[in-house]
Amino acid sequence: MKKLFSLFLVLVLAFCAVTAAFADDITLDVIICQYGPNTNNWFERGGTGMDGSNFVEEFEAANPGIKLNLEVVSWNDVHQVVDTRIANGNAPDILNLDTFSEFLPDDLLLPVEEYTTEELFADFFPAFMQDFLVDGEYWAVPDLASARALYYNVDILEEAGVEVPTTWAELEDAAQAIIDFYDGEVYPWGIDMTTDEGQAAFAYYTWGNGGGFTDEDGEWALNSDENVEAIEYAIGLVNAGYTNPNPATQTRYDLQDMFATGKLAMMIGPNQIPTYVKDKGGDINMATASLPANEGKVSASVGVKDVMMAFRDDSVEDQDARNEAISAFMTFFYDPDNYVGWVSMEDFLPAVNSAVEALVEENPSFEAWLNVLATCKFYPTSKAEWAQVRQGVTTVEQNALTGADVRAELDALQAEITGE
Amino acid sequence: MTTGINRHKWEPYLWLLPSTLLVSVFVLFPILIVFKLSFSEISPAGVVGGFIGFDNYVEAINLPAFKAVMLNTLWWVLSVVIISTILGFIIALVLNQKFHGRKIARSILVFPWATSLVIQASVWNYIIKYEYGSLNNVLLNLGIIKQAINFRSSYQIEFIWECWVGIFVTVPFVTFCVLSGLQSIDVSLYEAATMDGAGFWHKLRHITLPLVKPSLTVSTVLNIIYVFNSFPIVYTMTKGAPAHKTDTMITYLYMLSFYERKKGPATALSVIGFLILCLCAGIYMMTVMRKEEQQ
Repeated sequence: MKKLFSLFLVLVLAFCAVTAAFADDITLDVIICQYGPNTNNWFERGGTGMDGSNFVEEFEAANPGIKLNLEVVSWNDVHQVVDTRIANGNAPDILNLDTFSEFLPDDLLLPVEEYTTEELFADFFPAFMQDFLVDGEYWAVPDLASARALYYNVDILEEAGVEVPTTWAELEDAAQAIIDFYDGEVYPWGIDMTTDEGQAAFAYYTWGNGGGFTDEDGEWALNSDENVEAIEYAIGLVNAGYTNPNPATQTRYDLQDMFATGKLAMMIGPNQIPTYVKDKGGDINMATASLPANEGKVSASVGVKDVMMAFRDDSVEDQDARNEAISAFMTFFYDPDNYVGWVSMEDFLPAVNSAVEALVEENPSFEAWLNVLATCKFYPTSKAEWAQVRQGVTTVEQNALTGADVRAELDALQAEITGE
Repeated sequence: MTTGINRHKWEPYLWLLPSTLLVSVFVLFPILIVFKLSFSEISPAGVVGGFIGFDNYVEAINLPAFKAVMLNTLWWVLSVVIISTILGFIIALVLNQKFHGRKIARSILVFPWATSLVIQASVWNYIIKYEYGSLNNVLLNLGIIKQAINFRSSYQIEFIWECWVGIFVTVPFVTFCVLSGLQSIDVSLYEAATMDGAGFWHKLRHITLPLVKPSLTVSTVLNIIYVFNSFPIVYTMTKGAPAHKTDTMITYLYMLSFYERKKGPATALSVIGFLILCLCAGIYMMTVMRKEEQQ
């Protein structure tokens, strides 16, 4: 009986010791978006570019007392997952997404200064950080970027006897020449107006016509004359038969597949396209050029950058310890030893200076893309209405594809967004 | 003896308790929450605010796409349920006959039903793809067409394709419901009718139809609910594009909530959908039950 009692005591003590040890641990809920097939590997499984182990293991080994409950979620589901968690009062501690401003009106985010060391803060590209400044505070940090350029099939253009178009008029001429030469078998120009990339299409054409999402004062200017003309031009390309036939349902990946097999002559896409084409077994002679702009207007490169942000959690007693844990995550993530692997894994462009040298050394073509990145325009993601605008411009484009009046559609969207 | 009677009184409730609890937690409770949310202010990020009356309902009904989506939903439910019921009934009649390979035919029929809807919709997406679709490839190779056809040339046609996939995956369910009804019909009834000189149509109208009616009622009511609530086919094939013109109510409220960030109107729409569904299923069941009672 005594033996049994002793054994029971030992077990109770052991249980208490284990729970006490875990009680001191801070567990961070982290949601990362799935950029490609390697994202899960790099964070949770075999590890790509992390010497066989994965990020979570490496982080927990380097930061005793901090556990990661990390979840990689597909882009299709991430809003549903995050919004549901917020509605249930269970927001993640750290979130990776393409926008942050929608969380500001509800005061859900933690200011960057609470969890970023001075050294790390100074490491981010300053131009990137400017977009995260709202009411004198930074609310997110960039995790990576990509730049868009015009990709064209050199052989198709040469055979059709056309030069790479630099203006909208030249684009129409080139498209007609390709249609004539290939008897409609090759689509001259790719357009994606799906919910995935409708906002990108809006940016390509409106920025190439001196318009855009906002005016010089940063106020929404969705229904400007330049924007109306730009969207009418893009819809005109579709109606003239110069593009893929179903822009409302054919995504960028459909276009990339067509481009890789020589079915599509030109498309605007990110810097990962060469890798994508190669992975698909495509063997085409391709090159890049600036995006065509309207006559007399400046061609604007389009950049996309995603973000990391931290959420408030007022239920935690020791806020300093939580902030330190988040800071430890950020510092570890952006450490060049880890971050270079993260960015290069899916051919993205970096957001911190300390990774540039190693990335250029690994892939010399990065340097040219970094120069493009420096001149890129970015979406106005710091504005709280961005999520609605993004979907709104896509709806305008899709309505216009079915014959709706572009001006009336953009006027309605502007009125809805600005409440005027 | 008294204890026995008492036990019989509460015993059924005891057995019903687990399922009642499960239904309460996983069905009733969420429904009540959605009702409450539909009268609350909800921010684009999902933070629930205070009571705002019917504002969400007013906003939902005044959305530009609302009427078109409701009309789509009506067409979607009517076409899928009616056509799949007719086709399922015919196939069930065929499969009820004795022929070589009947078991194999019945097994094959299960496939569309047993396969996930997302996979079904994705496969159909590839079949009807203009550029590399297998339907075009087959027709071209057979020499039936000389140029590839764009099977998705307008949103109206895309919507018809969505309905077709809906019918394709629903037919097996109807078939098996009707088949189970057919198998329970006493063969002697047909023999007696034949002796009296009844033909195929007479037997179908006066024996088969009345006796499989309970099975058809079950399959129709369940199909109205399943098809109305079906999300994967429309979402996988078009995501409602262009501009919600191929959306049904369920996909529309999802897009409204998680793409357009209008969560208040989205919850109001889900309540409206729930009430419509209750009404449809209720009217249908009451009508059928009344007729059965009269008979």
